[in-house]
Amino acid sequence: MDTLAPAPTLRPPSAPAAASSAPGSGPAPAAETLIEIDHVDFFYGAVQALHDISLSIQDKKVTAFIGPSGCGKSTLLRCFNRMNDLIDGTRIAKGSIKIRGIDIHRPDVDVIELRKRVGMVFQKSNPFPKSIYENITYGLKLQGVSNKARLDEVVEKSLRGAALWEEVKDRLHTSGLGLSGGQQQRLCIARAIAVEPEIILMDEPCSALDPVATAKVEELIQTLRTRFTIVIVTHNMQQAARCSDKTAFFYMGKLIEYADTRNIFMNPANPQTEAYVSGRFG
Amino acid sequence: MASSAPADDTHFIAYKGSFRLFGLTLDDCIRVFFGGNAVVSIIVLALITYFLFREGSGFFGQNRDNLTVYRHAGLEYVDFIRTQQDDHAALTRYLSDLRVRQFTHYTMEKGLSLAQANAALASFDDFAGQYGDTVEPIRTLVSDLTEQATAIKEKFTVMEDKKVERTQLLAAGKEAEAAAVRIVPIDFVVELKPILGTLPAYREASAEFAKRLTAVLADAPAMPARELQTRMERFQQLNAEYMAGFPAVTRNLETWDYNKPVPVTQAFSSFLFGRQWLTASFWQDWYGVIPLVVGSIMVSLVALIIAVPLGVGSAIYINQIATPLEQKFIKPCIEFISAIPSVVLGFFGIAVLGQALRALSQVSWLSWVPGFPYSERLNILTAGCLLALIAVPTIFTLAEDALNNVPRAFKEASFALGATRLQTIIRIIVPASLSGIISAVLLGLGRVIGETMVVLLCAGNRIAIPDFTAGLAVITQPVHTMTGIIAQEMGEVVHGSIHYRALFVVGMLLFFLSLAINYAAQRIVRRYRISIG
Repeated sequence: MDTLAPAPTLRPPSAPAAASSAPGSGPAPAAETLIEIDHVDFFYGAVQALHDISLSIQDKKVTAFIGPSGCGKSTLLRCFNRMNDLIDGTRIAKGSIKIRGIDIHRPDVDVIELRKRVGMVFQKSNPFPKSIYENITYGLKLQGVSNKARLDEVVEKSLRGAALWEEVKDRLHTSGLGLSGGQQQRLCIARAIAVEPEIILMDEPCSALDPVATAKVEELIQTLRTRFTIVIVTHNMQQAARCSDKTAFFYMGKLIEYADTRNIFMNPANPQTEAYVSGRFG
Repeated sequence: MASSAPADDTHFIAYKGSFRLFGLTLDDCIRVFFGGNAVVSIIVLALITYFLFREGSGFFGQNRDNLTVYRHAGLEYVDFIRTQQDDHAALTRYLSDLRVRQFTHYTMEKGLSLAQANAALASFDDFAGQYGDTVEPIRTLVSDLTEQATAIKEKFTVMEDKKVERTQLLAAGKEAEAAAVRIVPIDFVVELKPILGTLPAYREASAEFAKRLTAVLADAPAMPARELQTRMERFQQLNAEYMAGFPAVTRNLETWDYNKPVPVTQAFSSFLFGRQWLTASFWQDWYGVIPLVVGSIMVSLVALIIAVPLGVGSAIYINQIATPLEQKFIKPCIEFISAIPSVVLGFFGIAVLGQALRALSQVSWLSWVPGFPYSERLNILTAGCLLALIAVPTIFTLAEDALNNVPRAFKEASFALGATRLQTIIRIIVPASLSGIISAVLLGLGRVIGETMVVLLCAGNRIAIPDFTAGLAVITQPVHTMTGIIAQEMGEVVHGSIHYRALFVVGMLLFFLSLAINYAAQRIVRRYRISIG
């Protein structure tokens, strides 16, 4: 674990806050496994996108989903905060997804509460057409926080956490759309961490960014891993190799292999994985 | 090799150029066809504008002549006194209103029978009668003067007609007949002498009038209730103000000069700011556009107040909340409204909506609504409700487009942060599409303000500025509108007359108003596209 943690960007109070939720929520093994995916079949209308997926994602680790386009990795990711609910005709036909032991697709689960705990960063940076400040405080204001001092504090903390503070501290009240692509993506990350989720889902966060901006986001992921559980979907295998602890390889809606990142890239067990990571297809 | 290549080229060119129409290739023809279509619409627009200006521009000159005659013939002079009389009539109406209130008080609250109530009001009626009679000296004077001034104006009109006749004869080359048309120039000084000579008589009448008023008002009867007493005091106060204005009237009469030229600006200002639209009057025609503008604005305002929530609300529902099945059903339904001919809507307004609204206004537990109950079936409210129906499809369709243009990513980001659907709509979707929605509303306004048939049929067509002192109840009064007046009067005016031209100027005003609204809407939309990026 070679975290490049720039000391001032991570302020001490956040670490206990994130950690405090862990002990109370179950026996010791549960702290290890945060998300438990159990034999999941997923359909878009009549088209089956996921076939019998089972895997467990560990707490405070970075898990990467790789695989060719259309393999179902984004679909699975979007199951974790039930974003697929927004698409008509989607359903989980079989299996369950549990976060800290709770089946998130049970009818009595509050989706709003779930999404507060499972943040998301999208492929295309999507700051709201509002000021930087309003972008960050949006989630908190939804929860009814209106104390100015508290909001100011969270804005600074989140922007520092997303390594954006120094760049934007003098123009917090200008539009978020005025930032560069990489800055916009980091703003979106800051917006996601402002509500203190436990899990951050990243859906190809760097695919629209240039190499320099990508490097910055990757660096950021390294600093965030101590506080959050991160699941990242990526097309870029070097990226998966660089930032993740565990990697899952998907192909045609099936989970082909799931193991420590080093193993996936150095000595994959499955020949398909081997072919993909060595660049022979995909 | 060098020789074979050009041979191929010439073959190619010859093939392409084989079709020619008036020396134009196929490509040129296509260009001319489509370019021509675009040019035609521009030419038509230019012609319409030019025509409006040509027909309308003559109005202001004619209006000035109209005002000059008004002054020369002494009508203006007489109007000073007439206004005094009219103000008295207005005060008399205040008294009759007060009588109705007292009557209601006696019958409803005191529970008296009709006969008893009338008996109780006997002293008040006596007072009102005396008050009405006080104006007698002035009234006699005015009716004499009115006849004289009208006679002078008539003479002038006849002379003008003869002038026109002679010009026409001369133009036709009939010199002898033209010479036979005798024109006697009018000496206004001589003609006006009898009118101006009544000044001492006026002074006397005015003094007498003031004396009688004071005497009558001194023993005004006491009112049976506190609220009514306040009204009576208000009446006394109005009278005091009224009488304080008498010396000013006398002064106006003394300093009046028939020969004072009418300033050019007055030809414009009397149109733009004139509070009276009075045509084919025995006395004096006024072309003041304010009652019509106010009518149009009031009706449009009511329409927008109803249509904006309906249109924008249903757009939000369809775009953000409805299931595909609902979308499939509701969207065509709303868009279908715009297919209803407006005359049918107007007919519906007269036959059904006007009746229904009036019946509703007379329901007793709704009497707290301002203006309820009312008796005019056709009024601002009726017309506004129907116009709202016309504006809803426009606002709905454009607002839905605007909502559609909000990137899906905003919505997803908001949901991912734990927002509910309502929070997402209110905090993200609507603000992001706000300029589009505003321009939708503006275009709806443009649609409503230009609508003719519905307002002509349902607005009540009373040419007067509604009484704004009634507060919100103003919407239960009838009005006339700019579009309505053109449709109603254009058919029966003499071509080229001042009235005809006045209608064209109203048309011009309408044209510019619509132009301004559309321009504003386009500007807003353009800014909106940039802001979304």
